[in-house]
Order: sequence, then structure tokens, then C-alpha cells
Amino acid sequence: MNDRLEVLRTMNKLIEYLRGPFVLIVLIVFARYVFPSKMTFLVEITTFSIYIIANDILYGYMGMVSFGQPFYLGVGAYTAAIYLAHVGHDPLVAIVLAILMGLVTGAILGPAYIRLRGDYFALINAASCGLGLFLVEKTFLAFTRGDDGLWYRSRMHATPLLDLRRPDEFFWFAMIVLFLVLVWYTWLNRSTLGASFRAIKVNESKMKFLGYNTFVIRWTGFTLNCVLAALAGAMFAVNYGFVNPSITAPDRAAEVLVATLLGGPGSIYGPFFGTVAFIGLRDVVSAFVSRWELAMGILTIIVCFKFRGGVWGTIQILGNKLKGLKGKSSAQSA
Amino acid sequence: MTAMSENKRVLQVKDLNVSYQKLRVLFDASIEISAGEVVVVVGRNGAGKTTLFRTVSGFLKQDKGTILFKGEDIGALPPYEVALKGLKYIQQDKHVFADLTVRENLELGSYATKDYDWDRVLEHFPKLKTLMDRKGGNLSGGERQMLLMAQSLLGRPDLVLMDEPTEGLAPHVIDDLKVAFKKIRGQTTLMIIEQNLPLTAEVADRVYAMKEGKIVAEIVDKQEIKDLKFEKYL
Repeated sequence: MNDRLEVLRTMNKLIEYLRGPFVLIVLIVFARYVFPSKMTFLVEITTFSIYIIANDILYGYMGMVSFGQPFYLGVGAYTAAIYLAHVGHDPLVAIVLAILMGLVTGAILGPAYIRLRGDYFALINAASCGLGLFLVEKTFLAFTRGDDGLWYRSRMHATPLLDLRRPDEFFWFAMIVLFLVLVWYTWLNRSTLGASFRAIKVNESKMKFLGYNTFVIRWTGFTLNCVLAALAGAMFAVNYGFVNPSITAPDRAAEVLVATLLGGPGSIYGPFFGTVAFIGLRDVVSAFVSRWELAMGILTIIVCFKFRGGVWGTIQILGNKLKGLKGKSSAQSA
Repeated sequence: MTAMSENKRVLQVKDLNVSYQKLRVLFDASIEISAGEVVVVVGRNGAGKTTLFRTVSGFLKQDKGTILFKGEDIGALPPYEVALKGLKYIQQDKHVFADLTVRENLELGSYATKDYDWDRVLEHFPKLKTLMDRKGGNLSGGERQMLLMAQSLLGRPDLVLMDEPTEGLAPHVIDDLKVAFKKIRGQTTLMIIEQNLPLTAEVADRVYAMKEGKIVAEIVDKQEIKDLKFEKYL
């Protein structure tokens, strides 16, 4: 009897983890068929969401602002690109190598970077971005071809089951990756690791008094950020078949933070909705006005002052209000 | 010093000297605590009580002196290792993790110590059972203090240091905490910084008085404690 209860509990938990990500993926797939011309946009949203999730671990969960996210994105993108342009032909291998490089980057830089707090942490990451740009533009010119960028689409071989060279099949691959990342992110949100990330943001001293090595926790968070950003970078690289140094440019650091803020930091679906708001607004506004950043700036100011929970936070508040109204009306009718 | 058998000693602090940069704030402080005792440290603001607790719990490093916990020198250990050895410290600020629920706050206490026996802990704080899904930030001062105490008892610590647990709390909440202190004393050893003298008189087995960074008196006589004889050192 107890065993059956345990199995049922585990099943319920599993369904809880899978339900939200599944609904989201179904919505994206639905959008693809309703608006077939927007498939590229949907793939960009999917990949960018993973990038924002990476930043959300640092900023939303642990309260660490980084101006160096393009560097970690670039690590993944250039690892995949260099492999595909000079070494091998399999896009899946390129993505796996990029993930490993993200892991190594986080493991090596983490112990030094996470000793710094607040503005120093933000700035050392910005410095990494500048350094990364210099490395790919000048130092490793022979591998990266500098400003000309790397082109390797014709070198990529077909992969089994889904041919990642074909945009329509890459779409399905992106759906699978986003689904897995979201399931993992849902688990993180409800796990003790996620709670310890959030606890560090509020009161690190207290975590130490409880017996936690907060250095290791922050290092773990930083490394997870690097791995996910590298994964997003590799997906960009494989999808476009081209990488140039602008991917790691320091002036693109703000867009990650803005998208995280727009979505609602520290929530499961915030990164996705932040991405939709950011890229959607950019595409829509830039069709009418050349300086779309103005609209983005105004929106960000409004979010900072009025909607701290971002898009997802506001959706949740509205949902709770609706539930409250429903509850009231059913109580009255009873 | 009171006569205590060596093997029952939980904490021995000898000739502790601590400075904030060049400013020395603790001068040759020595204390001893035996298992099961409730020891209260009294003194005016700035007497060095919190510095003593922060040093014992590993947050500050001493210039000189030794800190033996269950016979082991913990003077060079970081705070999280001290906590895992069974010495917990509840800070004065009563900060719980405001964004986390009571349940999540307790889970963090459990995960670090691998002690998930919440029933044992919550029997002292039954009110927390009704607040499991409430966020830490929405708890009252008394409820936060109860949560902090419950969290610190996970892992069956040998010694809990509490820095002014009743500060800013309503009298009826202090009465509840008093009951909790009495129940807890059978489970662990308590060392408390307290300004509330009647409470000190009621729960303390011994009292250390501090002044200007020094231990100026140790009161062991129960009647003297009840008569608030230590007040003259404040």
C-alpha cells in the first residue's frame, strides 16, 4: 500500500515538472503552424530563452548582476563554430563540446570571479567580454577569421533523426532542448539547490550559520550559468551556420539583463516571457522606428517602477485576482 | 570558574582576544560551558557579547586565544564547518529567508544537517505547523524567532548560541519563548545573550557579565541569579 502511494506521489511530482514545459512547447508548436512565416522568430525565442535562463540563475536567483553574459554565449558559439569550421562535421558533437567548454569556463573562472561582489562582479564580467572580443577578433585570428567571422554551413553533416542543417528540423531540435531545460529549471525552482540560491541572495551569513559552504553554492550557480549560456551559444552557431565577434560584444550585455527583468527574475517562465517581450518588441518596433531601443528603455523604466515581477509576475497576479473573483462569485451563488 | 568535569565540557574559550582592524574589542575572554547548561551573557551595548559569539561561531578570527568545542580546536574553521560540527548561532537580526516559505526554510536547515526529524523540533513550536506555506517575510517577530530556533535545532546541535532572542518581542511572545527555552534545554546546551533580566533570572544556570570587552564576573549561585545580583555589572 505504502509502495503504491510512493509510486503515485512520484508520478504526481513528475507530472508537475512536465506539465508546464509541455504546455509551453505545445503553444510554440501551435504558433509555428498558425504563423508559418514566423518559424525563425520562434527558434530565436527558444534559443534566447535558454540564454536568459542562464542569466536568471545568476541574477534572478542569486542576485549577482553580470555584464559579461555575451562572453559565456561566445564561448559556446565559438567552440561549436571552430569545431565545425576546422575539425569535425557533426553539429551534435559541436553542441556537446560547447557545453563542456562552458563547464570548464565556469569551473576555472568561478573561484576567482565569485569572490567579488556587486559592482566588482559585474565589471569583471564586463572585462571578460572585452577580453573575449579581443581574443576572437585579434589573438586567434587564424581560427576565428576575425571580423569576417566563421562560415561552416556547407561543412555540417546531417545528424540522425533530425537534420540540424534544415531550419524546419532544427525547430524540433530546439523544442526538445527547451523542453528539457525547462523541466530541469522547474526542478531547480523547487529543489533545495534552488532554495539555497535564493537564500544566498537574501542572507549569505545565515546560510553559513546553517552549515552551508556558500562559496561552493555560488560557484555551482556560476558554472550552471556558463553551461547554459554556452549551450545557447552553440545553438545559435549551429542554427545560423555562421558566427562573428559581435556575439561576444560587451555592448550586448544589457539586453540579457533587460530581457530577464522584463520576464520577471527568479521565476520558471519569466525568462521565456522576457524573451518574447524583448525580441517581439524589438522586431515590431524596429519595423516602424529605427531606434527601437527608445521603446525598450521606456518599457524597462515602467517595469522597474510599476511591475517588478515582470511579464510573468503580472500574469500570475492577474491569474490570482481572477481566481479570487471566481471564488467570490461561487461563494455568493452558494 | 565553576567546577566542571572535563568530559562534560562542550565549549572552552581561553584568553580570547579579538580586534576590528587595530581596535581591540575582546580582552582575554575565557568561558566554559557544560552539556545541558543554559548560560546567559549579559552586558551593556558594546561590551563585546556579539563579538564573542561571532568569534566562537567562526565568523571573526581571534588574534589570540583558543576555542575548544567538544575538545577540538575550532578557532581556525570557517562558520559553515563550525555549524556542521554542531555549534549553531542565531543572529540578533532575526532574519529568516523572507522569499522562502517556512517549509523551505526548514528544508534548508535539514539539507545541510541531513536531519529531517521535523516532528521532534516542531513539538516545541507547534504554531509553526500551521504556518508551513507562509513566506518568511510575512511572519511576525516571534514567529521568525521560533523558525530560527527550529531551524537551528535540526541536526541535533550540541550548542546553540542565541543573540538577544527576545529583543523587540511582545511580552506574551517572550512568555512562549520562555516555555520553549525550558523544553529545549533537555535537548541541547544554550548560550544566550540577553538584556531581559527577569527572563535571564528564570532560565539561566550561570551568568557571565561582560564590560568593555572583558568578562568581569561569573555568577553561579542560583539565588544570586534569581535576585538579579549581576545587575551591578551592567
